[in-house]
Amino acid sequence: MNKPVIQMQNVIKRYYIGQPNELQILNGISLEIHEHEFVSIVGQSGSGKSTLMNIIGALDRPTEGTYHLNGVDVSTLDDDELSYIRNQEIGFVFQTFNLISRTNALKNVEMPMMYAGLSRKKRLERAKELLALVDMSERATHQPNELSGGQKQRVAIARAMANHPSILLADEPTGALDSKTGHKIMDLFHKLHQEEGTTIILITHSSELAEETERMITISDGNIIADTGGENNAVH
Amino acid sequence: MQFIENLRLAITSILANKMRSILTMLGIIIGISAVIMITTIGTSIQKTLVNTFNSMGSMNYFEVYTSWNYSEEDFGLTYTDNSEDRLSVEMLNQLVEQYPEYFYLNLSDDVGSFPLNNWKKQQISVNVSSITNFENLDDFPFVRGRGINQNDGNGLKQVMNVSTLFVEQYFPAGTNPIGQTVSTEIGDFVIVGVFELPDYYVKQMYNEGQQDIDKVTPVYIPYDTARHLLEKEQEPLYYADVYYYPEQDIDMLENLLNNYFQEIYKDKPYVQIEVFNMQSELGMINTVINVITIAISVIAAISLIVGGVGVMNIMLVSITERTKEIGVRKALGARNSAILAQFVVEAILLCLIGGIIGILLGVAGGVGIGFIAKFMVNQFYPEYAGMFKITIQPSIPAMLIAVIFSILTGVFFGYYPANKAAKLNPIDALRYD
Repeated sequence: MNKPVIQMQNVIKRYYIGQPNELQILNGISLEIHEHEFVSIVGQSGSGKSTLMNIIGALDRPTEGTYHLNGVDVSTLDDDELSYIRNQEIGFVFQTFNLISRTNALKNVEMPMMYAGLSRKKRLERAKELLALVDMSERATHQPNELSGGQKQRVAIARAMANHPSILLADEPTGALDSKTGHKIMDLFHKLHQEEGTTIILITHSSELAEETERMITISDGNIIADTGGENNAVH
Repeated sequence: MQFIENLRLAITSILANKMRSILTMLGIIIGISAVIMITTIGTSIQKTLVNTFNSMGSMNYFEVYTSWNYSEEDFGLTYTDNSEDRLSVEMLNQLVEQYPEYFYLNLSDDVGSFPLNNWKKQQISVNVSSITNFENLDDFPFVRGRGINQNDGNGLKQVMNVSTLFVEQYFPAGTNPIGQTVSTEIGDFVIVGVFELPDYYVKQMYNEGQQDIDKVTPVYIPYDTARHLLEKEQEPLYYADVYYYPEQDIDMLENLLNNYFQEIYKDKPYVQIEVFNMQSELGMINTVINVITIAISVIAAISLIVGGVGVMNIMLVSITERTKEIGVRKALGARNSAILAQFVVEAILLCLIGGIIGILLGVAGGVGIGFIAKFMVNQFYPEYAGMFKITIQPSIPAMLIAVIFSILTGVFFGYYPANKAAKLNPIDALRYD
């Protein structure tokens, strides 16, 4: 069995703490995800999956419980340390691509490496390599507004892979694409998973997409209600 | 590395909204250009004054002159000009004896204009002046022989210094003038030195197209010799120049002179010796111009605050527009400090470009006004054009201060918006539409 990348113990997330409208979104999630897994997290809107994604992605800290990412307890880190974790360990893929406008594909892919402090030469080398991996070499110098939705998402995936992250965290990556293009993006995820051994967490509300993954975690009202297909199921 | 990236980002962002960037810079441009224009005019006036005074000859002397302080109703009633009350050569000689380390004399006087007949029996005119020491006067360079000095006066020698122009007028071409005698109404003088007339003198004294033979030339004879020949040895002076050796405290020397003369005149309340020095006068004028320049500059600099607020406003707009971008950058691992630096650099660049444009416009404006002033003087007062050394000089320190001020404006007014951007919560920023 592969080593665990994500270990969550009884994670609780509350908002408006101490106020009359205090809200508990996650009710004690315990979860373990291992290297090279391709996992989907499914849930209706309002189920808490976005909050869970933010915590997995080190954008937010749990109110209670512990979250270890590659053995590091993320819940105790400060803002700059979280920035470092996001930069090194997480590759974000967004529904709306979120490429930086007026900045060409190559520069977009270089960006996480720039924040990591890599030299220009190394950045350029790696960015070209990544664009080749997602089949976008010919569009390297194109601005985002000169690319189609599918092409933008390919660049975004290349960008997410830049610093060899432990996990690729994709939030509805096909949500803004037509079904044909969406399938091609899913094919790319499969390719990365199989050929590069990337650990992928796919967040979606579509059970159809989730079916494609090895393991499907279903969330409802802040609880994991199902966890199927994994080599070992979550610790309940 | 990060800095170059930030610079690149800032340039991209400024170029992306060219019109908006220019309008934002306008406040800075106006403020800086006003300051630079005023300082350019100020330093040009100062430089012009200094150069004009310097061109009039050396200024290392005090003008001392007799001054009466009777009131108008007393005029001619209780006081008649008693020549004993006036400044005398003796007083001046005693002064120099008392303070030989500070002062020396170079007395001079107009003797008068005399007609002379040259070798062709043509009539020419000379303007005779007497002087103690005609050596080492920078603006009258000697081409032959020597200048008149104290020894000539002491020996009451009848020697003379003439100009090259006089030599051409008086002697046949090719004559060596040294040792030749010139006969005048007051006596015969032997030429011991020939000097060249400086350009400014020629421009000031002679009309264009005037025949050389008609030009009245200056000639010099020893001061004491002149007084002796004219039988004026005991005659008092109205004024005299007391020279001082260079690099001395002028205020101290002025006090010394005032005290010296006050001591002599302490029993004569109606008459006194006034002391005037161009150098200290010029220093005062410079101080006044400086104060005025700084005061107006400060007022003009207030517009920089308005400009800075404009920059802050645009930076806030820019950050709101780019909230999502900030969120993405944070998700990709940008630290707060990286976002802060990005926006501060953008604000600084905006202000710096505005500042540089302002400096260029200000210099252009100041120099333009200088040229207009020069043109007007040449056009309407051509007789003074040679005398005024109009110098146009932009103030380099003012430009450096302007650059530093632009950067500071960028930092000061860019920091708040940039900090706001840096502190954005990445989740909220990512969700922003």
